[in-house]
Amino acid sequence: MNVIETENLTKTYKRYKKREGIIGSIQGLWKREYEEKNAVNSVNLKIEEGEFIGLIGPNGAGKTTLIKMLTGIIAPTSGRIEVLGYYPNDLKNEFKEKYAVVMGQKSQLFFELTANDTLRLFKEIYGIPEAEYQERKQYFIELFGVEKLMNMQVRTLSLGERMKMELIAALLHNPQILFLDEPTIGLDAIASRQIRGFLKQVNQEKGTTIILTSHYMEDIKTLCGRCVVINHGSKIYDGRTEALFEKYQNSKKITAIFEQPVDGSRFLTDGLMLEDTPHKKVISVPKEKTYQVLQAIMEENPSDISVEEEEIGTVVERIYKGRSET
Amino acid sequence: MSKYIEVGRTYLKTQLAWRGDVLFHMLFTVTKILFACLLWGLIFEEREMVSGFTYHSMLSYYIISSFLSQLEKSGGISEEITYKIRNGSFSNYMVLPISIEGYFTAMEAGIVLFYLGFDLAAAFIWVFIFRIEFVFVQSGFIFCCALLMVIIGLFFMVQLNYFLGILTLKYEEISTFLMIKNNLISLVTGSIVPLTLFPEAVVRYMKLLPFYYVTYLPSMLLTGRCRQEAVTGLFVISGWCIVMQILIVYTWKKYSRKYDGVGI
Ligand SMILES: Nc1ncnc2c1ncn2[C@@H]1O[C@H](COP(=O)(O)OP(=O)(O)OP(=O)(O)O)[C@@H](O)[C@H]1O
Ligand SMILES: [Mg+2]
Repeated sequence: MNVIETENLTKTYKRYKKREGIIGSIQGLWKREYEEKNAVNSVNLKIEEGEFIGLIGPNGAGKTTLIKMLTGIIAPTSGRIEVLGYYPNDLKNEFKEKYAVVMGQKSQLFFELTANDTLRLFKEIYGIPEAEYQERKQYFIELFGVEKLMNMQVRTLSLGERMKMELIAALLHNPQILFLDEPTIGLDAIASRQIRGFLKQVNQEKGTTIILTSHYMEDIKTLCGRCVVINHGSKIYDGRTEALFEKYQNSKKITAIFEQPVDGSRFLTDGLMLEDTPHKKVISVPKEKTYQVLQAIMEENPSDISVEEEEIGTVVERIYKGRSET
Repeated sequence: MSKYIEVGRTYLKTQLAWRGDVLFHMLFTVTKILFACLLWGLIFEEREMVSGFTYHSMLSYYIISSFLSQLEKSGGISEEITYKIRNGSFSNYMVLPISIEGYFTAMEAGIVLFYLGFDLAAAFIWVFIFRIEFVFVQSGFIFCCALLMVIIGLFFMVQLNYFLGILTLKYEEISTFLMIKNNLISLVTGSIVPLTLFPEAVVRYMKLLPFYYVTYLPSMLLTGRCRQEAVTGLFVISGWCIVMQILIVYTWKKYSRKYDGVGI
């Protein structure tokens, strides 16, 4: 069953073009020029129940705008949109009880109160029975190991601790769909790993459909079976995450150290010399040539050798440009 | 319903979190009443009655009306809504399965209940310390009317501020509206010029406006005056609530689609 369906979904923002300086600002009081911005452009999307989808794209691609339309926060300019059978922007309570959204930059928690206070409020707002509430809360607290933080004023929590609380608050009513807009932004490796583990478990055990945007490819690669890439408001890739990286990750980095000075040019049949000192060579080679180059290096008796995947940054750059060649 | 009760409780708790504010608020109330006592004491040294008030009935009126106007804290609603619409965090309310107006009403109720406790305490202390012969309404019926009028009046103010807040969807900038509202309120509630100084005709028009019923009339009723206006007053203020509700529903329908949820 499809939980999300969009067809030619488009959002055009009208933005007021402010002229520079004070004079410009004053002129703007009566005469305003508007500039149109196509933030999401004719996007077709079908998402099935239980999927874990990664939504990626460079800054300003339209990811957040898409999520805002799917959650009903903003109305689309044109196109069809259906989430769990509803038109989101009708903002029906019945619909809102079925999803949750966490935006890394916005907080649903009351800063002056403790996380427990906010959770209790959410329990009432979503009409969760007491027994279920206690059981789910306990489940999430244990999953994160945050028992001690539940009775602290939220404003005293760190970014990572707060994000865990946001996730617990969002999942308390057992939503069918969870929208996450950069939940790991600014978090350290340990906290993001914990959050990834948490999300994976929620997706598998509860069958929650999760839509995640992130600039950290680690999140996308470990969590999302399917990946949607958008750029300039248009969808440019939609398919398996593995296949995406397979397609664009087309070279490997070989580092070799030698006891004796070696002339590097003979390894360089195909590829790029990144570092060339007498005792150390770093070469970027096309995936399919790796074996050949390695063999050539082995003949020189290297003292150490390593083969690494290409740097994720370059791969992503290539994905966003939509070209598989270097 | 229980969700709104919990919203109210939650805001009651947030108020308690700022203990410093509470203390400041108490001090402010206390100095205001102290100041009034001194001022009216001077005035009443020379004469027995001012516009039909004795020293004690004047102080009773003053204590009640400042008590009521301190409960009226809904101005924060329009400011909060404008701020949140402009920075995009208004979407926090839009994704919750609640009525946003109901949420703000419950929030206000929580805040009012909190201040109610402190203000009542402050009023009692002053009545005792200054041994004011507190003039209070005798009729139970009028007392109930006044109480009801206060509740409806406070609700009206919530509606008004909510309405002005969501106008941000259309106008982006509502500080002019807020300024007009604030001036109108202080004029009509008699905090700039006492209402008795206005010509009869002007006061008659003011009685058509809702603000007359928010603090002024209930204070008069509670000190045992203007009793013939009690019932009509209830009708007028209720009528205004209905008008306001229609305006709110219409505005929200028309402009909620304009919300473009700025922000990351
Ligand atoms: N309220 C708005 N009014 C006008 N233009 C907007 C508005 N919100 C976003 N935009 C524009 O729409 C485009 C898409 O923005 P969006 O926030 O969806 O990007 P994003 O993919 O989430 O980017 P990021 O990775 O930086 O979060 C951007 O070019 C942005 O400038
Ligand atoms: Mg974004």
